[in-house]
Amino acid sequence: MTHINLERKGTPVTTPAHAAVPVDTGQVLVQARGLQKSFHHRTILKNVDFDMHRGDITVIIGKSGSGKSTLLRAIAGLTDPDAGEISIDGKTVFEGTQRTKAWAEASANVGMVFQTYTLWPHMNVLDNLTLAPRKTRGMAASEAKDQAESALDEVGMKHHILSRPTQLSGGERQRVAIARALMMKPKLLLCDEITSALDPPVAAEVLDVLRRLKEEDGIAVALVTHDMAFASKAADRVVFFHNGEIAVNATPEAAFDNCDNPDLKKFVDAVRF
Amino acid sequence: MNGYTFDWDVVAKALPSMLEGLGLTLQITVITIVLSMVLAIPVAVGRMSKIEVVRWAAQGYIELFRCTPLLVQLFWIFYALPALTGVTLPGYVSALIALTANLTAFMAETYRSGFQSVPVEQVEAGRMLQLNRFQQLRYIIVPQAMRQQLPVILSLNISLFKDTALVSTIAVSDLMFISNTISAQNYRALEIFTLAALIYFAIAFPVSLITSAIERRMQSTAGPGFKPGPSLLARMMPGTKVATS
Repeated sequence: MTHINLERKGTPVTTPAHAAVPVDTGQVLVQARGLQKSFHHRTILKNVDFDMHRGDITVIIGKSGSGKSTLLRAIAGLTDPDAGEISIDGKTVFEGTQRTKAWAEASANVGMVFQTYTLWPHMNVLDNLTLAPRKTRGMAASEAKDQAESALDEVGMKHHILSRPTQLSGGERQRVAIARALMMKPKLLLCDEITSALDPPVAAEVLDVLRRLKEEDGIAVALVTHDMAFASKAADRVVFFHNGEIAVNATPEAAFDNCDNPDLKKFVDAVRF
Repeated sequence: MNGYTFDWDVVAKALPSMLEGLGLTLQITVITIVLSMVLAIPVAVGRMSKIEVVRWAAQGYIELFRCTPLLVQLFWIFYALPALTGVTLPGYVSALIALTANLTAFMAETYRSGFQSVPVEQVEAGRMLQLNRFQQLRYIIVPQAMRQQLPVILSLNISLFKDTALVSTIAVSDLMFISNTISAQNYRALEIFTLAALIYFAIAFPVSLITSAIERRMQSTAGPGFKPGPSLLARMMPGTKVATS
């Protein structure tokens, strides 16, 4: 059993020495209204309304099957809701029961990192990073390589540029997966339990990368995690899912210190101990 | 041995003709393999299609050719199809059609199994990076599926090479047809068919060794911590075990 302590030490909470890129955190980047989704007669999302602001880190917590991952997949375009509306960057990308024409353009602003290691094992790290920019954006190989070096540098993995995914540890693979998503210059990075298979210190390193992306590049991050320490220290918003509904949507202080939602308290206690 | 006296002279005399037959056998084998490897891709993709009609059509094709004997397929195309269409196909063409249709069915199932062995998250990661369906197949799914299924594909090809012997039944002058004809002329079935078996073996065995070597290489390079094992020759020997830890 994983014991998570809100006051856990060893989770790096660093502020970069250089000046942070100014970020307009006041604008809505993602807006979802009335999202509904059922699988095999089981309702996973019940009329969910959800907003994310530019440059924010939103931590989504909740029990397994409560709808967290389904919400991320709906925003990512991997799962179509049964009903509702999703807007990204001011453009309606999903309406009623289908994606709109604006989806093709807006989806380029969305990156996703998955729970399991999704690096392509038959390619080295460089090829993993450069394939999409070269094939979808016609980027020259040399330019793609430069950009890959820069993205890997950002996640502290530049020295592994010619490694194979099988030669990397779990934490290293997730950092490379983040770098791969960064190659497409996303405004929004969706992270679905990316640290659940990692040891706490390694998970902390990966989460620290996300914090730097927000602080230095202004990338908005939606993160499904059970790491309460990260949620309390780095999140701008904490969203608690319960039975397919957003039961709490608040700042970390409000969610963890001043919230009287019994389900959230029960969940936090269960995760902590 | 029933006092049988071997006459190896007939072998020396028969060899040039049999090698000619081998040439045709190899030609049929190569053409069939190349055609099947290409045609099996759309069949495998159809087998996984979300469109029910396409999926059922692909499945129906596969089952039809998997569940009937190759000899029946061969005879049906050579003897029955002309009755239906009024067009008589030469034996060589009939053989190519039957063998290709048969191998395509097996190859398509092998591809499908390989395609489905690629974790869905890897394909979704490609989707999130804006790769279209063709690019996902070309760069993510097919390379991994082929690598995964290479031993099976090579095994199918070895079987096909041996199965070409059936085309002798529709008067295609392959190695088996020539062997049969010569043995009928000189009544030296033992020498001639032993030679035929040795020729088939000489072609199939090296491919079988290569298949085993590839399989072992894939096992030993499957994950981190790979340590070099025995020499290539030792690893190619059938039955050689390779430590995986």
